[in-house]
Amino acid sequence: MKIADLKKYSKQIIVVAVIVVVCIILAALKPGKDTLLSMTSPEMQKMIDADKSSSRKRVTITYNSMLIINYVSLSTSGANVMSERYVGFLGKVYPADEGAMKVVGQMVNYSYRMLGIGENLMHGAKLTILLTTLTVIFGVLLGTILALGKISKKKILSKLSGAYIFFFRGTPLLIQIFVVYFTVPGIFGFAWRDFFNAADTEAVYKGAFMAALIAFGLNSGAYCAEIVRSAIQSIDKGQFEASKALGMNYAQTMTRIIIPQSIRRMIPNVSNEFIMVLKDASLVFAISLMDITTISKNIMTSEGSYLVFIPALVIYLLITALFGFIFDKIEKKFSVYE
Amino acid sequence: MSDQYEYILKTEHVSKSFGSLEVLKDINLSVKKGEVICIIGPSGAGKSTFLRSLNQLEKITSGKIFIRDELFLHRENDHTVDKLPREKQQELLLEMGMVFQRFNLFPHKTVLQNVCEAPIVVKKEKKDVVEERARELLARVGLSEKADEYPSRLSGGQQQRVAIARALAMNPEIMLFDEPTSALDPELVGDVLKVMKELAESGMTMLCVTHEMGFAREVADRVLLMADGIIAEEGTPEEIFTNPKTDRTKNFLNAVLEA
Repeated sequence: MKIADLKKYSKQIIVVAVIVVVCIILAALKPGKDTLLSMTSPEMQKMIDADKSSSRKRVTITYNSMLIINYVSLSTSGANVMSERYVGFLGKVYPADEGAMKVVGQMVNYSYRMLGIGENLMHGAKLTILLTTLTVIFGVLLGTILALGKISKKKILSKLSGAYIFFFRGTPLLIQIFVVYFTVPGIFGFAWRDFFNAADTEAVYKGAFMAALIAFGLNSGAYCAEIVRSAIQSIDKGQFEASKALGMNYAQTMTRIIIPQSIRRMIPNVSNEFIMVLKDASLVFAISLMDITTISKNIMTSEGSYLVFIPALVIYLLITALFGFIFDKIEKKFSVYE
Repeated sequence: MSDQYEYILKTEHVSKSFGSLEVLKDINLSVKKGEVICIIGPSGAGKSTFLRSLNQLEKITSGKIFIRDELFLHRENDHTVDKLPREKQQELLLEMGMVFQRFNLFPHKTVLQNVCEAPIVVKKEKKDVVEERARELLARVGLSEKADEYPSRLSGGQQQRVAIARALAMNPEIMLFDEPTSALDPELVGDVLKVMKELAESGMTMLCVTHEMGFAREVADRVLLMADGIIAEEGTPEEIFTNPKTDRTKNFLNAVLEA
């Protein structure tokens, strides 16, 4: 069984293995940080050495290492303004102050920053992925409850769910975020950062993330409710009748018969919702969180680089492709019985 | 539970309307334990609706339903006048197994899981006990080797036999069959009828809505002919098939037997 599985995927395994081996080789051939720094001009070297023995730093060194390629940028402040950049790739160091190598260097630097490498979880691509994934999980759970409420025979439940869905689909997500982040603490007299240790310098971001997650989850719940509801209602009425004829009550019928069958039908729509949330996640800029979009806009504004949006698009596409693949696998797993 | 009862199932004046359409009109039927009753008749006569009303899949508009001589449900003009307490109702309903025209197996569960599901979930029986019984039932319907397949891999006839095993797993006292062979290819009908026949011979009380005249003739103790929401004629297979009294029965039998 196991070996047969491996054989089925042999092509994919070979492709992945080749990519991994190539990456390992390229990573091994990548020049180290010291090699990059040793290529700098004598003047720059002198200032770096001077910095070492002084408490006053005049050289800013930015070092970005991304698996197979790395990039260093040095700039000085004060009277003697200099700036130098180098790209390291395949055992060689290339000056990156102009021409194609300048673009390559910029791309490495921008990608590095947007991916949030070396930063905490609430930064760049990590923030986007974390927020989106948690939102969709929360949204599907809440959506299931709302959907069961909506189709319930109890009028009050049905009306309440309907009102919830109407509200969250009928107002802008951005304002919902504002309400959760500003209005709710304003009314109840607390701040989101209070939920975390005051000594934690990240407390304000963690608080903002929590608020964002709540707003996104509540919003996504409304959209997922419709997804779950239509999936449940697409199940053949005969399934309810068979369950009832066998003596199962409503809860047993739902949890054991109807919802397991609905899951497969809702996966394509949940995948769609995931992609929508992924892109909506950029709205967190409004409460001081730095996601991919916000970082790219900041780079554009502060450094005037119009190329920054290209790696941003590539990163979004890669995330979409990765999760598209994951959702495909989940759907296959739930389709075994068809 | 006491076994002292005259009729396992009895209906008095059962009527059912969908809006202004009267599907069942004043149906009276008494079923004794061990009886096999076949309900035949033209489509739209209310046969399925009657069967589904017994099982509470449809709510009757008015009339009384007795199970084991106890008044199970009494309704008048779409309002419940009297009924057993909920738990007692639930308990008695478990004594009725139902087999549907469209099988309605659970597609996401294997054959064995389909059969075991309700005894484990509803009756809280031990898994290994139920599984043993389920395998015996599957052997009885001739599908032992399909236990771990999903229903989609089975033919219609095999699916229907699994559905019968699934209903039997709850150890019902009475089995309701709602046109169990109508959705099957002709060559698959025989296997299902064979299982039903064996079941009848084993003493099971059965109520079958069917278009299989041969089966009705051979297996039934009593045949009911329903037309336009009433029982047009009732009698032994002999009486109905060889010596029909009403024109309705004659017309119906002519139409069916000529085809």
